[in-house]
Amino acid sequence: MTEQKKKSISLSSKLKSSLDFLFPFLIIGIVWEILVQTGIIELRSLPAPSTLLAKFWELTFVNGILWKHLGSSLYRLATGYLLAVLIGTALGALLAQKPLLHDMFEPSLNLLMSVPTIAWIPIFLITLGLGDKTVIIAIFTSSFFAITYNTMRGIEMIDKSIVNAAHLMGLHGLNLFLEVLLPASMLSIINGLRLAIGYAWRALVGGELLAAMIEWGLGKMVYQARYFNDASVMLLGLLIIGITGFLLDKTFLTILERNTVEKWGMTAKK
Amino acid sequence: MDPIIQIQDLYKTFTENDKELVALDHINLDIPRNQFTVLIGPSGCGKTTLLNTIAGFEKATSGKILLDGKPILKPAPDRGYVFQDYALFPWLTVLGNITFGLTHNGWEKKGAEEKAREYIDLVHLQGFEEAYPHTLSGGMKQRVAIARALAYNPEVLLMDEPFGALDAQTRKHMQRELVKILEKEQKTVVFVTHSVIEAVFLADLVIVMTARPGKVKGMVKIDLPRKRSYVEDHYLHYREQILELLEEEVEKGFED
Amino acid sequence: MRRKIFLAILPIVIFLLAWEVSARLEWVNPVLFPAPSAILNELVDLFQEGLPAHSILINHTLATLKRLGIGFSVGVLAGVLMGVLMGLSNPSFHFFNPLILVLMSIPGIALAPLFIIWLGFGDPTIITLGALSTFFPVVYSTTTGVRSVDRQMVRAAQIMGASRLQVITSVYIPWSAAFVFNGIKLGLARGWMTVIAVEFVAASNYGLGYMIWYATERLKADVVYAGILVMILIYFILDKLLIGNVEKKTISRWGMITQKQEE
Repeated sequence: MTEQKKKSISLSSKLKSSLDFLFPFLIIGIVWEILVQTGIIELRSLPAPSTLLAKFWELTFVNGILWKHLGSSLYRLATGYLLAVLIGTALGALLAQKPLLHDMFEPSLNLLMSVPTIAWIPIFLITLGLGDKTVIIAIFTSSFFAITYNTMRGIEMIDKSIVNAAHLMGLHGLNLFLEVLLPASMLSIINGLRLAIGYAWRALVGGELLAAMIEWGLGKMVYQARYFNDASVMLLGLLIIGITGFLLDKTFLTILERNTVEKWGMTAKK
Repeated sequence: MDPIIQIQDLYKTFTENDKELVALDHINLDIPRNQFTVLIGPSGCGKTTLLNTIAGFEKATSGKILLDGKPILKPAPDRGYVFQDYALFPWLTVLGNITFGLTHNGWEKKGAEEKAREYIDLVHLQGFEEAYPHTLSGGMKQRVAIARALAYNPEVLLMDEPFGALDAQTRKHMQRELVKILEKEQKTVVFVTHSVIEAVFLADLVIVMTARPGKVKGMVKIDLPRKRSYVEDHYLHYREQILELLEEEVEKGFED
Repeated sequence: MRRKIFLAILPIVIFLLAWEVSARLEWVNPVLFPAPSAILNELVDLFQEGLPAHSILINHTLATLKRLGIGFSVGVLAGVLMGVLMGLSNPSFHFFNPLILVLMSIPGIALAPLFIIWLGFGDPTIITLGALSTFFPVVYSTTTGVRSVDRQMVRAAQIMGASRLQVITSVYIPWSAAFVFNGIKLGLARGWMTVIAVEFVAASNYGLGYMIWYATERLKADVVYAGILVMILIYFILDKLLIGNVEKKTISRWGMITQKQEE
């Protein structure tokens, strides 16, 4: 099969799978719309899809408020999460190389990793105030332990002969880490990143919702709508939270996976 | 000859990446009763597909397979199957795995356990009745699988490269064991392999299949006593004969 | 072994000591960072206040556990049923899977404002959201489990004479057990987290989350820390005792524990 043919097949199958994915949403939207239009359901707190679409139009193209909410959320997520990725992988690598440090911190890490995300937020609200800093640190904290732990485990489980071969070829320090340890432990690292993005997303939305000084953000958008009893803004906000959360995993982690472990044949066949 | 299984004009296709492929191309074949028949061929020749169709796991596109004159429509306990990767139930003990086929065929629990113990003895696994499969070695797992397939007394034993996942030593050992077991249990066996040595060591009849689409390329009757060694002269002669038939096919496979 | 335990405890002891000293010497603001001893004191006080009949801490905890108990049970039950359905029927999988993937990406607490409009403050909202948060991971794992059943095992059961129903009970269900447990574990974590978080915003007067949030708004740091400590402890106890034991008797014995996969 030629390259081009392969590409066109994968493109059309991609299109088909996205359509398959949207299909149930469409069906539910239509049924819901009909139920509301015919008056079978009559609730101010459950607006019809057409109302949601009108609201969506208003918030995106008329006043652009939605972009501002989404933007602030993604900014906080990126700051806290990327910080956790940088420090977490570095610390994980360090712990994996020093048995003494491993024995000292592995149990605490394991413990801290299982602390529910929501537990951190009140602590940071008290100690760091009610603003941005609190949310970003909450994101950082909830993703940091999972990333550190999985990086450490990943590096520790690398086949010793690979490391020995690298030593023989004269690789040490940062080069050894970047060129050998990091790729060889990628499967476990991606596992950690995936766990962490879920935790981070929960910390972000929860933090935005609870931190009183924050004005913008998807969590706030949903929470503020409560004061106006505006169910359409809430539903819209929730949908966007769901879709963005889903896409975070489906886009950047899947792309990372495809370009590393899958390409290298490290994933088990599904 | 009294064939137990008659394969009549069996044709089977399947689709892969929107392309239709012919797996089995009008196969006509009789499997002799109470004999050891080996299906051999290059990989992808459809030998496992043929075996699975006899088992009733897969359906023919056209043509049919008769077992004792009745068409095979679905899997049923008149056949036993031994899988390459054992397919033991991890949540059942050795005893539990072997009684499975008995209790699902009307045996009382107690009688089933007694029967199962006979077969545990037959495959030399005394003392492992209560062990869970994950604690056993590959060779032991395959013994359990063989005992499980024999215990409920099927007419035909189907084996899909049963020793393919074992190391060379264990493999030879298991081949000898199988011969011993079949001395005690008269059975029709259909055995899939890609090893010529294994085929000549075990078979009464070797059926060589062509590369895709799978057809019958030729048959070799092995006229040797049951107890064989791996180095006799006439034994080598059979090996040559099968290899010759196979070689053309293997080369064809590479040209694709 | 002893060395390992010593090394593991060492950083925790140092951390707590450093905290204690810094708080006592007021190197850090003891209002925001009360000393560990002060937190323990507060914990004992909270427990003793109102004893014997109405210990504040116990009442709050029981209120939360009751909500979790109901929500979690409903979530697990509905999740397993739905998961089996989606696992066995392809059309239902293709219809519901996208919905579930998107809905499970919404943190439970974000749903609180909407459910407060629908169901009001208090138990109905908290329990419903606890159930939903448990439901999603359970459905997801159960579906994955049922759909991943080894085809060879199904065939082995069929050829030995198992009927369709028997194949479901004797192969599909035990095979999926490992996945279902994993889902239940996650469901417990999510459910617990959501119940507490929703109590922050939707509880009218009782619950561990209510207690923590009430103290947070009034900057009573010692109560906040004490409450969070209890919250974490209870989670560990539930996770280890409730689920760990069942796991040991089943999938660990069968050698079916796969790689520890959370989230």
